[in-house]
Amino acid sequence: MRQPAMPIRSPFESSIAKPGQGTVVLSLLPPNNPTLTTLTYKYPLKLVPRAPGFVPSPESSALSDSCPSRPVHLYLLTYGGGLLPGDHIEVSIKLEPRTRMVVTTPQGSTKIFKTEPGNENGIKLIKGHRKQMPANQHLADMSQQSLDVKIGRQAALCYLPDPSVPFKNSRYAQVQTFTVDAAAKGNERSSLCVLDWVTQGRTSRGENWNFRFWRGRNEVWATDETTGKSRLLLRDSVILDDETEDLNDSDEDLDDDAGESGLNSHSGRAETPPPQAGLVPLNVIQERTRPHGVLGTLILSGPVFDSLGSYFMQQFNSQPRIGSRNWSSSAPSSAPEPSLSTTGDVIWTAARVRAGFVLVKFGAKDFETAKHWLGGLLREEGSIIREFGEEALFCL
Amino acid sequence: MLLDTPQSQHLQSEIEQLEARLHDLRAQLDASQYPSPPASHPDQKTPWTMSSGEQFWFFRISKTFYTNPSPPDIYKHDNILNKFHSSSVRSSSLHALLLLSDSALPLGSFAYSSGLESYLAHNKPLRANPITSFHRFLKLSIASIASTSLPYVLAGYREPDTLETLDNDLDASTPCIVAQRASVAQGRALIGVWERAFRMSFAVPAATDTGAEVAVTAIDDFSDALKSYNDEDNEYDLGPKGHFAPLWGVVCRAMGLDLHQAAYIFVLNHAKAVLSAAVRASVMGPYQAQNILASQTLQDTIMKRIQREWDTEVEQAGQVVPALDLWVGRHELLYSRIFNS
Repeated sequence: MRQPAMPIRSPFESSIAKPGQGTVVLSLLPPNNPTLTTLTYKYPLKLVPRAPGFVPSPESSALSDSCPSRPVHLYLLTYGGGLLPGDHIEVSIKLEPRTRMVVTTPQGSTKIFKTEPGNENGIKLIKGHRKQMPANQHLADMSQQSLDVKIGRQAALCYLPDPSVPFKNSRYAQVQTFTVDAAAKGNERSSLCVLDWVTQGRTSRGENWNFRFWRGRNEVWATDETTGKSRLLLRDSVILDDETEDLNDSDEDLDDDAGESGLNSHSGRAETPPPQAGLVPLNVIQERTRPHGVLGTLILSGPVFDSLGSYFMQQFNSQPRIGSRNWSSSAPSSAPEPSLSTTGDVIWTAARVRAGFVLVKFGAKDFETAKHWLGGLLREEGSIIREFGEEALFCL
Repeated sequence: MLLDTPQSQHLQSEIEQLEARLHDLRAQLDASQYPSPPASHPDQKTPWTMSSGEQFWFFRISKTFYTNPSPPDIYKHDNILNKFHSSSVRSSSLHALLLLSDSALPLGSFAYSSGLESYLAHNKPLRANPITSFHRFLKLSIASIASTSLPYVLAGYREPDTLETLDNDLDASTPCIVAQRASVAQGRALIGVWERAFRMSFAVPAATDTGAEVAVTAIDDFSDALKSYNDEDNEYDLGPKGHFAPLWGVVCRAMGLDLHQAAYIFVLNHAKAVLSAAVRASVMGPYQAQNILASQTLQDTIMKRIQREWDTEVEQAGQVVPALDLWVGRHELLYSRIFNS
């Protein structure tokens, strides 16, 4: 076991944290006592730790050879329960070997407030320079959140937050980086369970993918601390961009871009897209996410979540075949009771991609459906509750 | 009871057919999205009054990107345009261009529908008007390939020596097995074609572009790494895979194509593969497919997507059509399938 010989020197310790920054270091003090050795944060970010009474019993744990440590619960909060334009949240978490952490968002969904229409600065800038600037550079008035978690060997992170809800006209970019120990093998590997999901907005206000920009990027890197070499293990990147900044300044083009009309908008023949009932998209993001109202990704890796990953794979592979027919006409009502994983409301896929990662992607018509489906599957399988306690599923 | 069910089913299908016809007629009534007879569109004739279609094609691309205030450094566009008629350099690039855009290039692309088959299965109600539904898919598919893979093509071309990293990163970014298989199979086939066929003719030391030599070396090294890799030394050291997009960029560089051409053919070939799959999946007939392929609107779409991703770093590449990932991933669940993806 490599325990650090001296206290970890955090890059943030010497300087005062910038607004929105937070640093957490979770260490395991002997004999088996998880302790937050560092916890700093600054407005508008708030980090609230809690050591729940839950203790994973050794016999129920996936890692029977080592006594798992108590999970520490970290609440991720922002004042106002959301992000304003220009807010930069930067959370850095370090889980030292054999520690476990549960991260949730107790305020409900992460609200992404809209970029003020009065603030023309950012938009003007883009328009003037749009040839030079790719879609990712006009970050000035965007809300941003970055989460950087280093997970030591045998440590585990369970991060099942609420979805982010981008309001109309909002712009948001999120980067979540998880670093695991490349030298660890087999059951010593770091474990992580990360959920990242986004909804169409406030459905009660009729919002339906009406934001300007949303980007969610999740990366898992394996870093060998002795050699310093890093390798990208997994990158999941979703970009939902209404692409309005690409267009000419003329207003009639605003609703007319790479969506349904993209193929003919420059032909000079068909000036307006033919109005086909029910097929005309209101915006590009809607067109590209249809028919879903919520989209998400679940990343599972490491020994603690191995059984959960296998469970998802097995559930996925046992879904009914699409387009199969019941050739035996004698059994008209033999259709099996639709179980959780097979209901048509959730379109999902699971894949064992590489380095033992299981990647689950899903789309559902609304938040409640997705929550019910995912929470149901996670509870049915049960290993998260066994390893981290019921609180880990707080948001589901 | 037993009679009712088939009868209502019959009625239901009748209604669907009628609705489909209504859709079709409406679609015809509205200005057609795609030109049907070429003669009815005088602007389509412009290219043919020029000395060659090839020149027009090239000119269009150059013009599109030339307006970009920060053009990539590889070539000076003026020279290329001026030299076009006479220079032997260009004509050799034209040869390579035609080779790489040939549908007979043995990459096995015909085996993949890039999610079209699954899309059709998941969107049965939309099939009332299969053509409209297909247009939607084609647009989504082009946008998606441009946002996820094109940055890797461009990076492979611009920096051939980073091929191995690009390959790893693209492998890490490909979210499902089905897409991974398709990409790796075509990438390895491309290495095969390069080694067995193109290398002899194109791996000559060219004075024009030192990058071509770097590219040749990069492919050789990568191919060696691919052959000599024995797995399971380390759980996190995954070895080379052979993904298509970065290899395409490197091979294009080695064969003397310019970056615009490499990018354009990559996306065009993708569109061709999807259209070819559509013909075989009985979405449309071969003439209709060629009609779409030839259309100005498709060209414009491709150009627009390339232009959009021209400066996208590979780190910023990502899926813009999340729904497509779901369709592609669920291809494995289809009861019957004619494609590998």
